[in-house]
Order: sequence, then structure tokens, then C-alpha cells
Amino acid sequence: MTDHLSQTILNALADGELTADQLASANQHLAACQSCTSKALYQSLLKSATAKAGLRYMPPPLLRERLAHLASQANSSSQAPGSRAVHVSPLRSIWRIGSLGWAAAAVLLVASVSMMLFQRDSQRAEVASAEQAALVTEVFDQHVATLAGNAPPQVVSTDRHTVKPWFQGKIPFSFNLPQSLPSDTTLDGANLTYLHNQPVAQLLYSIGKHRVSVFLRQKSGAAEANKLVAERSGFHVMDFGTNDLEAVAVSDVDPARLAELVRAIRLAQTGDQPRLK
Amino acid sequence: MPLLPSLYNVAFWLSRNATDAEDLVQETFLKALRGFASFEPDSNFKAWIFRILRNTYLTSRTGLAAARTIALEDELNESGDSAPAQYPEAAIDRQTPEMNLLQMADRAALQAAMEALPPPLLEVILLCDVEEMKYREIATTLEIPVGTVMSRIARARGTLRTILEAQQPSSRGFRK
Repeated sequence: MTDHLSQTILNALADGELTADQLASANQHLAACQSCTSKALYQSLLKSATAKAGLRYMPPPLLRERLAHLASQANSSSQAPGSRAVHVSPLRSIWRIGSLGWAAAAVLLVASVSMMLFQRDSQRAEVASAEQAALVTEVFDQHVATLAGNAPPQVVSTDRHTVKPWFQGKIPFSFNLPQSLPSDTTLDGANLTYLHNQPVAQLLYSIGKHRVSVFLRQKSGAAEANKLVAERSGFHVMDFGTNDLEAVAVSDVDPARLAELVRAIRLAQTGDQPRLK
Repeated sequence: MPLLPSLYNVAFWLSRNATDAEDLVQETFLKALRGFASFEPDSNFKAWIFRILRNTYLTSRTGLAAARTIALEDELNESGDSAPAQYPEAAIDRQTPEMNLLQMADRAALQAAMEALPPPLLEVILLCDVEEMKYREIATTLEIPVGTVMSRIARARGTLRTILEAQQPSSRGFRK
């Protein structure tokens, strides 16, 4: 085995800053080193958690209005150099530095703002996409960790009346498990785990010999029903939502069979039972 | 104004209060407006305006106060490798202390840990993790070498981990 990955490499790995060669080398090492894999996973989780925790403060609406007012004043000040409209005393001196370049700069800025606002919408879409990608990564990692681990599920049972009550007092919500499952599908048990620092129920199923993880958590936003959101390394990730819950299922089973299980779980939340084939 | 939420968020983190953050953003806006003609269209607008914010912060009352109390560069190892303590060897399973630590660390605990970071470390974490800037963009924004960006990120994350561990000493072995 080669030397362990340095802290710099682990950080660059989490930040997506490794070159192709460095990434290949790191992946080769990670495939054979549990210790570094654990550290790499930790760095990724820390980065994800920090990104969420760091998004903390929102600008007050009055600030936006004030800045818009300043922009318009900047524009008009170029036409009336004597005008003074800034109402924050430390900044007044700045406004006295009027010049002919103001008008051109203001026009350029307005054009830029329009362009940047458009880009901002694109960025928001990218943020939503990035959040979804982070969620996919997290459930994928958790599922793979479950497959790789030798430890049995925290609650081992094929009985839904055993699995569901086990979560009482462990998670701040409840859920239903389907009475009838699609053919060749069995409930194996469940784990209490965490996604984005929120407690979630990880339901473990088998469809044939394929293992399935279904993560249930409290709803925090709109989710589309039965939408295949990602495929990674041969695993399919599918999310769905009910009025109160969000769920993400991951497995390497055929997507159609995963969808059957997903549908059964979704209908169980509303008390309906699926019509099984 | 483009990037206003991002600018305000970082300004608040750095200045630690709403009034200073608003003044900081407003002054940044004015400087950007005044200097927009000098902005090169092909360059990175985000890095450019964050650099204005950062320079404005450094010359602000809170920035100067922070600078007087921190002599961080002397402590930094440019490679970053030896700055944070190496993590203890641990088998990869679902009960590693690191995993438990993060899973149990709620947002408030992490925010408290971030508040405890010195400004040079906090700003690289904000730009890297929250603003998702690349190392080169961060280097441009902070006007420091990329190597220093990497070492500060390593040091910041190592410090966060240490603080989180101190906050939750019983997290080890929590999950059975």
C-alpha cells in the first residue's frame, strides 16, 4: 500500500480540486485503504454540513431598497453633480467623488445587473441541482456503507409491526410500512441514520438478491412523485414525497422494480394499498 | 444587486453584526459602482466583487480589530499537511467517531464552531464551502497564493473538527 493520503489531498478531493491523475491515484489508494476512505468521507460530510450551516444570514429587504436607491442616485448625480442623496454618513464623502465616468459606469452596471440577475437565476437552479446532487451523494454513500458493513441492521425483522414501533422516540415523525409488498420483495430491517444532520429512517429491503435502502425523513420542500433523479455507478436513486414525508430509495435493482416498491411505500403513507401484479 | 445574498451572508459572518454587515455591503456596492469601469468583462465578477468586500472589511473597524489580534500567517504551514492533527486510525464502518461526530453535530453546533474560527480561516471556509468557489478563485479574491488557500482550508477544517469534538465529548461510540 502506498503512503496515506495527505490532509491537503483529502481536502482537495472533497473540494473537487484534484487533477485527473491525482484523482485516479487517490481513488486507487482509497480502494485499498479503509482509514483514508473514512477520512475522505468525513471531509465530504464536513464540507456539506459547513455549506449548509454557513448559509445563515439573509439581507433585510430595506438594504436591497437602499442599494437600488443608491444606484438611481448615482445615475442622477452624474447629471446633477451637486446633488447629495446618501443617507449613511460614513459614505457621504464617497459620493462627492463625482466624475464623468459615473454615467458610463452606471449604465454598464445596470446592464451588468440585468445580466447577473439572469445568471443568478441560473445559479439558483445550479444550487438546487447541487443540493440534489449532495443528497444523492449522501444516500449513495450511506447505502454503499450499509452494503459494505458487516453489522446487521439496528432492527432486524421482516415484520412491519416490529420495524415501525422500533423508531418510536428515535425520530420526530412517524410513517407507515406497506402491508403487501411487490413480488420477491422482503423487508430486512431498518437503521436510524442521518441525512443533512436530520434523523431519518433507513428501511432495508431486498428485491430478489438486490438490496434496497429507503430513507424517510420529514418533508422540507416539494418533491416530485416517482421521479428517477439519478443513476450512479449502476445504482438508481429515486425520490418521492407525501404530504409530510420525503423519501429517497437507492438500489442497483431494475428501476421498474424499484419503482414498484417506492409506489407501495408511498401509498402506505396515505393508507392505500397498491394493486400488485 | 447581483450576489447580494451571498455578499451579505459573508459580510455578516465576518463583521458579526447586522449593522456593520449592511454598511459593509453598501460600501462594497458603492466601490463596485465606482470601479465598475475597471472591471474586465472576461474576468471573474464574483471574485472581483468579493475582493472588494474583503478589502473593505479589512479596512473597517471590525476588520482592523481582528487584524490586530491575529498573526495567523506565522502559524501556518503552507503545505497544510501538518497543520491539523492527523485523524486517528479508524476502520471504515458506520460507527467511526468522525461519522458520529458529524451526524450528531447539528447546524447550531457547527455555526458556533464556525464563529470560533479566526477570520482568515472563516473566510476561506465561507468562500470554499458556502460560495463554492474554486481554489484559484479564492486565491484571486483573497489575493493570496493557492497554496495558502489550501493550507488555510486544511487548518480551518481541522479546527472545526477539534471544536466539534470539544463540544460533544460523548459522541464517540454513541451509536451501537
